[in-house]
Amino acid sequence: MSVSQQKPSVESWFKHKGWKPAAFQRQTWKAYQEGQSGLVNAPTGSGKTYALWGAIVQESLAVEAKPKGLQAIWITPLRALAVEIQQTTHKMTQELLPEMEVQKRTGDSTAKEKAAFKSKLPFGLVTTPESLHLLLSHKKNEDYFKNLQCIVVDEWHELMGSKRGVQVELALAYLCALFPKLRVWGISATLGNLELAQQILLQPTGQKGICIRANTLKKIRVQSLIPQTMETFPWRGHLGLHLLPEVLKQINKNRSTLVFTNTRAQCEIWYQKILEAAPQLAGEIAMHHGSMEKKVRLWVENQLREDKLKLVVCTSSLDLGVDFSPVESCIQIGSPKGVGRFLQRAGRSGHRPGATSTIHFVPTHAMELIEALALQKAIDHQAIEDRQPYLLSFDVLIQFLMTLAVGNGFHPKELFTIIQRSFCFQEMRKEEWQWCLNFIRYGSQSLEHYDEYKKVEVTPEGKYQVLNKGIAMRHRMSMGTIVGGADLKIKYLKGGYLGSIEEWFISKLQPGDTFTFSGRILELVRIQNMEVLVRKSKAKKAKVPSWMGGRMSFSAHLSQMLRETLYDIEQNDSPERKALEGVLQQQKKQSIIPQPEEFLIESFSSREGHHAIFYPFEGRAVHEAMASIVAYRLGLLEPQSFSLAFNDYGFELLSDRPVDIQGLLDNDLLNPQDIFEDLRQSFNVSEMARRKFRDIAVIGGLVFQGFPNKPIKTKHLQSGTQLFYEVFKDYEPDNLLYLQALTETYEHGMEEGRLQQAFERIEKQELCWLQTNHPTPFSFPIITDRLRGKLSSEKVEDRIKRMLQQLNKATQI
Amino acid sequence: MRISIRGEDFILDPSGALFWEAQGALMLADIHLGKITHFRKHGIAVPRAPITDFYVRIEKLIQKYQFQQLYFLGDLFHSNLNSEWDTFVSWSQKQAFEMTLIAGNHDILPAQAYQKTPLHVVENLVLGEFILTHHPEEHTPFNLCGHVHPGIMLRGPGRQGLKLSCFFQRPNQLILPAFGAFTGLHLLTKSVDDKVYILGEKEVFAYPNEP
Repeated sequence: MSVSQQKPSVESWFKHKGWKPAAFQRQTWKAYQEGQSGLVNAPTGSGKTYALWGAIVQESLAVEAKPKGLQAIWITPLRALAVEIQQTTHKMTQELLPEMEVQKRTGDSTAKEKAAFKSKLPFGLVTTPESLHLLLSHKKNEDYFKNLQCIVVDEWHELMGSKRGVQVELALAYLCALFPKLRVWGISATLGNLELAQQILLQPTGQKGICIRANTLKKIRVQSLIPQTMETFPWRGHLGLHLLPEVLKQINKNRSTLVFTNTRAQCEIWYQKILEAAPQLAGEIAMHHGSMEKKVRLWVENQLREDKLKLVVCTSSLDLGVDFSPVESCIQIGSPKGVGRFLQRAGRSGHRPGATSTIHFVPTHAMELIEALALQKAIDHQAIEDRQPYLLSFDVLIQFLMTLAVGNGFHPKELFTIIQRSFCFQEMRKEEWQWCLNFIRYGSQSLEHYDEYKKVEVTPEGKYQVLNKGIAMRHRMSMGTIVGGADLKIKYLKGGYLGSIEEWFISKLQPGDTFTFSGRILELVRIQNMEVLVRKSKAKKAKVPSWMGGRMSFSAHLSQMLRETLYDIEQNDSPERKALEGVLQQQKKQSIIPQPEEFLIESFSSREGHHAIFYPFEGRAVHEAMASIVAYRLGLLEPQSFSLAFNDYGFELLSDRPVDIQGLLDNDLLNPQDIFEDLRQSFNVSEMARRKFRDIAVIGGLVFQGFPNKPIKTKHLQSGTQLFYEVFKDYEPDNLLYLQALTETYEHGMEEGRLQQAFERIEKQELCWLQTNHPTPFSFPIITDRLRGKLSSEKVEDRIKRMLQQLNKATQI
Repeated sequence: MRISIRGEDFILDPSGALFWEAQGALMLADIHLGKITHFRKHGIAVPRAPITDFYVRIEKLIQKYQFQQLYFLGDLFHSNLNSEWDTFVSWSQKQAFEMTLIAGNHDILPAQAYQKTPLHVVENLVLGEFILTHHPEEHTPFNLCGHVHPGIMLRGPGRQGLKLSCFFQRPNQLILPAFGAFTGLHLLTKSVDDKVYILGEKEVFAYPNEP
């Protein structure tokens, strides 16, 4: 471009493009120039990237000398986002500072790109938390960062409630200690606890910083898609395919549509079904989820940007900031589980200022119609949830210590004060720190006898360092906090990767079986060297892979809205309410619709056993803990084994013997006293901990998942997290990583004290116990849930005996 | 629990050991000694405590059965040499009974290592109508073996499920459970011709057979 004779500036660059800087962009430029750190609260599509990148470029323009070395790091949570940000910032940089480059470095980066980075440091680097940590494990990392002016953390709202947020905190604490003048900036969508978000991010800088808000509130309307005839509305289900005709109508009405699904499996199925029902869409429809091969994902994103697709079926992989031009309409399949997320998705459509964005909601079962009403209410009240940060995540800390030890090593005394500058570890005690050091050095806490444990060694100067190459390599290979199961690559026999899939799904298939992936029907040929070899199949029917994890819980706000909506449901006259009529009548016939002063418990027996269903309406995470506590307390009356199920409305205890509800009422087992102690006790007998422990074991480096393409050599070092869990439970129950599984269950996803508050609320309610002959509409989605916890207070021997007796009976008939 | 195979009496011990009374022989499979230290040497912090588990448990079996022969059905030692082998060597030198190792896929120690112990190391062993191997083998006389780490899922009403270690008997074969502490389970499905004996804490339970 031809910039006029004057000195180029970001201001003139904007003018040249025909844009006018928004107030928040100017504010950001000014604050940055003053040397401040801060947080920009702006939604996707508002120009937040230019607010910060503009500031960074402007500063370099202001100085005479050409900037040397790496000036800015931009952290984004998703690899998909990194591409977009890199392109935008690189273009802006080149137009203003022609010789300067912005590179990207993510798990997708090629060896060539990595080498290019090392040989000549770029002006800016776009990266993910994991890749930044990998840079910290390089021996020369201080050279990379010595000219660094600023670190920008994009989509901080998304990172902050996750362990990757802890990763960011640690990297910031470390870099801010090395380079005290470093500025830290965050970009966040609106959160309930935005101030806390700012505090956490900026804590390592020692400054309070500034919060700059972009005022771009949008009106958003939720519209449920309701079928013509309601008799067929299912009581349970998570697919919502019965609404396919309505969804198709909606798609046809608009030029472009995004269909958001909650899981990758759901995404695959909807894609398949839409294509079957509307084959004319072929070529204009695509799918986007996190397990698909990078190339395909990038292609989809580009096509979207260029407005060439009519429809994309996606998961949260397209949730975040990828800045494609807005689509005309958004459809959400099934509950979005949170107001913030829903707003973000809704914001994908209709970017005209002042216009109302409509998001269409596809309830997958009857109860979700109530949720639709609750969502609208929450949006009207701007009741956006808080994000709860992780505290004292020792697994992430241990991983970080290893990362540093693999690189230049560290002096524990110095590092302790650095780590304490992060919000996550500000209250870490000296003993806990020592525990972590012992863990990586000795592999245990009892140091009395000689042992061959080898990981981190201490040099004569007192530096903690990894000297063994194998250990260093294994650590680099398994860094990161996002945990999946063992992933296998899917590859055509003739060559060509399609993506990755979890081992546990593939292990259930036999050669010759067909499954859908990435919109294709594939036949499994064989599994070889961590690769799944497939060929295209002409079969009509195929299994749909499911991916573990990703079950989210209702937030406190949404739970409250849900309760309020439910209490008033009979006064409501919305189309949703009308659609629900039959279901509500049925519920009232068999049981009740609870009122604010009532707490509903239903019980009935079926061929499966004896069911007791409790309805706190507090969200999955709280219910999971409540179910464990109640099952544990019932077990104190008489040893018993339970299978536990929970959703956002309530939880179920299922047993082979009657559940003693009368005993529960008589002994006041729903009281709020000692809940934490009881949860701790129940934890030892329940299987809830196992699931939590799985991630912790991988992050903390206990489980090594093997090198890609080189599985055999490391097989002798592989073991399941289950095995570790058992050994810790039996032999080292005071292990901090094992205990962390408990604290995470209690503290996380439960927004401080929510469990306590829930029990306190229930204490004031009247307990209404209804014995029904059949499942009620409210209970149906819960009792049919297949993902279950288990809790038993009986002796194993007794359980075996009873199960065998049952089997004997069955075989004698 | 006492069972009879090809006219011979065997005792299935809840620890996972198999005792052949007439021969005065005790059999153990898949102990995987050294696995914990092997992991620890590679920087994986498994608790050290279960290392001694084997010696505690075998001591009880010595008292209980007073056998003259001890057969290891393979995978005695998990990996390359480490300090756990020394512990095993000094233990083995103090024992009064004879010991035989039927080498498994994990038993890769050099010959000198075995020479320090009274162990006879063999590929397999024929005892009357029985052949002892590590890997399950087909078309043999009756096969006693390990390798599989057999487990079974027991299901009951109320969606109850228990994963348990077991002896798994096929028409020509008895697979022993893994005796080692830090080892996993491989779930098997029982067909009509199979018999399954489940390990409880103090008792062995027979899985009911279809009529």
